[in-house]
Amino acid sequence: MDKGQNTGGLMSSAGLVRYFDSEDEKGIRIDPKTIIVFGLLLGVVVQVLSFIA
Amino acid sequence: MGWKEAAEPVLARMPTVRRPEGHVPFKRKLMWTGAILVLYFFLTNISLLGLGQGGEDLFGEFRAILAGQQGSVLQVGIGPIVTASIVLQLLGGANLLGLDTDDPRDQVLYQGLQKLLVVLMTALTAAPMVLAGGGFLPTASQLTLGSLTLGPTGVKLIMFAQIFVGGILILYMDEVVSKWGVGSGVGLFIIAGVSQMLVGGFFAFERGAGFFYNWFLILTGDIQIDSLIGGNGLYQLLVSEGKIVALLTTLLIFLIVVYTESVRVEIPLSHSRVKGARGRFPVKLIYASVLPMILVRAVQANVQFMGQILNQQWSGMPAFLGTYTSGEPVSGFFYYTAPIYSPQDWMWWTGVTQETWQVLLRIGVDLTFMVVGGAIFAIFWVETTDMGPESTAKQIQNSGMQIPGFRQNVGVVEKVMERYIPQVTVIGGALVGLLAVWANMLGTIGGVSGTGLLLAVSITYKLYEEIAEEQMMEMHPMMRQMFGSE
Repeated sequence: MDKGQNTGGLMSSAGLVRYFDSEDEKGIRIDPKTIIVFGLLLGVVVQVLSFIA
Repeated sequence: MGWKEAAEPVLARMPTVRRPEGHVPFKRKLMWTGAILVLYFFLTNISLLGLGQGGEDLFGEFRAILAGQQGSVLQVGIGPIVTASIVLQLLGGANLLGLDTDDPRDQVLYQGLQKLLVVLMTALTAAPMVLAGGGFLPTASQLTLGSLTLGPTGVKLIMFAQIFVGGILILYMDEVVSKWGVGSGVGLFIIAGVSQMLVGGFFAFERGAGFFYNWFLILTGDIQIDSLIGGNGLYQLLVSEGKIVALLTTLLIFLIVVYTESVRVEIPLSHSRVKGARGRFPVKLIYASVLPMILVRAVQANVQFMGQILNQQWSGMPAFLGTYTSGEPVSGFFYYTAPIYSPQDWMWWTGVTQETWQVLLRIGVDLTFMVVGGAIFAIFWVETTDMGPESTAKQIQNSGMQIPGFRQNVGVVEKVMERYIPQVTVIGGALVGLLAVWANMLGTIGGVSGTGLLLAVSITYKLYEEIAEEQMMEMHPMMRQMFGSE
């Protein structure tokens, strides 16, 4: 068997949002850790501000 | 080709989560998935800054499938993603986009468009929630942060900002799970919500809410059961207090979904060059999976939101559109288009305020909508996710396989696929719609709703399959090369 297509093919029914392998070089890349850290910060900041208010 | 060139500079530059380079070990995948899950639960517990007292959930009974938490930073849940997906499905299904998802250039545009739509929908979902205020997301009249004092408008703006950021964050959390973890974020959040409600439905120490606690109260005599023959006893035991029917429905849905996952038409394949290499292409009964169902429910949900908001903002709303008592439509257009949520909505012998014909009309509308809508969205889903006859024929051809006894030709394989895929898709979509309505009519433990339960079970099953495949690849590195994920 060769590789076939690299578009996710038969597995693509997994989620509502589709992600392909090809990406634009010009686009901004975010590290997954950044997302998690941002999420934690958002939660903490909102919570702290709620305490102050 | 106008819009593609015009939109490309924007769409191609939408920020994306970096893809892993090479293979991510299974343990790492689990770690990422776990981390996102913990973050999700953490954020559903963070109350919005500036939130006042009270308020009713605008998502109402749809909360189970739209995830998130009322009054928290994740107020909108996956609502915007679902709505954006509906728009994309409709545009793509009707072939209005003109995007060829085999072309790398168009793939980038598709992803960008998808993201842009979600951002737009997040704003469109968050704005009415905050602006309609009062009944849904009550705002504190003023907010003092140190020396800064915000009036009502300022508070609303700050709340909108939090909900908006939370909504976008959900999108990126989904992307992290899809690229670095197991399954998809959307699926994960749905399972998380439904499981939480299920556990609550079984174990809550609250009269009327927890299944086991209710039975404890019944057995100790704290909940009085009427006579089984003359009185309400049977109804109390089976439906309202004992929830025996709900328990059976919940179990049955589990079994039916797991069983139907294995119902399939298998098309034999053989390799054109390697003699003896055989395979099968499965066309599953729930071929398009249960996910399109969420889209049908979301259409219903959006109609109901509109009703809720109209009811609040427009005091002279005509009665044929809907009359509301305590936030629920009791007659008119919005009553008939509201799905059946629980047995209490339709068992007219138990004191439903509507006439029998009104209840029957509502059941009829719900059933038609779910069955026909389920079939239509399943067809669109198959088309837009490249599971249709044409795309699968191409994939089979590209992998060097053929159907024994037929010429090795894409057109021929497509003809064979056309005999099965469309029919199976329509039957499967309609069947899932029917199951969802049936489960809602009989009730489910914890009020997770039929659709929520169907989604959770089938997503879990998919996840299980994916994990099994991952483990096989971990143990046999050769397989990775064969599946091309190296």
